Amino acid sequence: MSAPIRKDTVGARSRRDWPAHLVIAGFVLIELFPLYMMLQVSFKDNTGFIQNPWLPSNPATWHWENWLFGLKLVGPYITNTVFVAVLGTSCSIGLAVLGAYFFARYRMPFSGVLWSGFIALMLLPSVANIVPLFMLLKEMSLLNTLWALVIVAVAGGQVFNIFVLRNFIEDIPKDLFESAEMDGASHLQQIVTIVIPLSAPIIGTLSILSFLGIWNDFLLPLIVLRDRELFTLGVGLIYLDGEYVKQWGQIMAAYFLAAIPLIVIFLFCMRLFIRGLSQGAIKG
Amino acid sequence: MSLPLSRKKALREWRLYFFIGPSLVLVATFAYFPALSAAYHSLFDWSGGDAQQWVGLDNFRRAWHDQVLWDSFRTVSVLIGFNLFKMIPSILMAVLIHRLTSDRWQYAYRALLVVPMIVPGLVTLFIWKFFFDPNLGVLNRVLDFTGLKHGLVWLDQHVFHWNVFFANVPPGWLSQPGLVLPSLFLWGFPWLGTVGVLIYLAGLQSISTDVYEAAELDGVGPIGKFFHIELPLILTQVRLNLILLVIATLQGYGLQLLLLGESGGPGGRGMVPGLWMYNRAFIAGEFGYACAVGMILFAFILILTLVNHRFVRVEK
Repeated sequence: MSAPIRKDTVGARSRRDWPAHLVIAGFVLIELFPLYMMLQVSFKDNTGFIQNPWLPSNPATWHWENWLFGLKLVGPYITNTVFVAVLGTSCSIGLAVLGAYFFARYRMPFSGVLWSGFIALMLLPSVANIVPLFMLLKEMSLLNTLWALVIVAVAGGQVFNIFVLRNFIEDIPKDLFESAEMDGASHLQQIVTIVIPLSAPIIGTLSILSFLGIWNDFLLPLIVLRDRELFTLGVGLIYLDGEYVKQWGQIMAAYFLAAIPLIVIFLFCMRLFIRGLSQGAIKG
Repeated sequence: MSLPLSRKKALREWRLYFFIGPSLVLVATFAYFPALSAAYHSLFDWSGGDAQQWVGLDNFRRAWHDQVLWDSFRTVSVLIGFNLFKMIPSILMAVLIHRLTSDRWQYAYRALLVVPMIVPGLVTLFIWKFFFDPNLGVLNRVLDFTGLKHGLVWLDQHVFHWNVFFANVPPGWLSQPGLVLPSLFLWGFPWLGTVGVLIYLAGLQSISTDVYEAAELDGVGPIGKFFHIELPLILTQVRLNLILLVIATLQGYGLQLLLLGESGGPGGRGMVPGLWMYNRAFIAGEFGYACAVGMILFAFILILTLVNHRFVRVEK
């Protein structure tokens, strides 16, 4: 008779986990349900959806023309949004690197005052700003242009990005800067050869956050843009939602297309993002 | 630390000011100027043009007697209560994932939780609006399918007398005044915030297995473990999230604007102070009054931020 095999403790513990697995999986499934609905409805027409709302339809009857229609509808909006988001993110991060370098490299006269001026904005609520901002953009004849969105996004990103980047640049060993200076490198050259390579991960994270912020914004575009050709996704989807007779399949296809650039970003940065947040990289 | 600099060297490095110049100009123009302008214009009767008339504190007196504004503050306090409740699932989720013994599963669930983030926030809102649709919407279909609808109708008729659920009429979640607040509560179910869960998980990681084993020897149950081991460790993050959430709810109005429209939906039940400011400025053209409403909100949030800064020390 062989002695009963002793279960190893880890195995016993993980077997006791199943109720937790059940609860977590349930929550995750409900959390993913909207995504599932969006995808499967995008292949149906309205009658198909009413007859069979829950399950995906037979792939043979998929209405690919929904996607074609959606692409035609939101394609221009996506182009506009990509323009604003790419230009806004790169200018915002670029200027923030310069500004952070100014604060981190030397203690220049007035830099203390200027720093307080920046930091105070992290405490000042901006909720009342939207009305005067609208009037200001009107005075500058920037209403109904994409430039208004770019410039406000760049301005809005400065405080947070400079705040985060300054800490990172200050952690770079001073010897690196000094030896570069000996070799006759200008400040711009020092930024390009030392600061940017060494703080690439945080620059990447800040860029993603900035891009997401611009991509998801709809309040400013809603009050700034008037012409349909200039609409960004935010306004475009709001107008799409306002139509009376809705072809849900087409609308869902359009929604999904609006998410594709974010999907691309997350495919490349998922690990970085989970790692960053899990280690508490966002301390702001 | 940045190096202190002799005056002479600083003068030689004057070009560095060009580095901060653009940011400075942008921040002054698009952050400081609008804030000052809002404070200034809140004292005027101003409809957006060149003509404006000094009215002193009249806008604020009007706000004091403005029933809509009072109601909107009441609505927003209810919403703050809702949102605080909605923090619970993220905390429980983080604890449950953390208690799993398998690291691989922990990572898998974290990755799955990030997936919904690929959907732009606006699209999530519109999908929920679609779920709320009385005839086609998922919510009413689920209620019919599970028979919960009968329960709600019965509760309405015999217990609570809400007068919102009827046997043969699909509930209009966003079109019946009595259902606006419940819809704003249900929205986003099961209320898992990806960033929140990941941050809580980061806080929980510092618990070593010894602590759990010691607790088990002492006969501490799962609930006791939550209150004595896990919650204290993430209390800082929970407190920080709580303050940020209160501030965000107080000043936010995008959700209400998209789900309910610019006048706060049926009966104005979803009207919040921010939306009232937006409404007065861009619908009624009363820019001066809108600035005054904005300043009132500004004051509330500033107080909260300062209290937060004073009492909740968050390590950088």
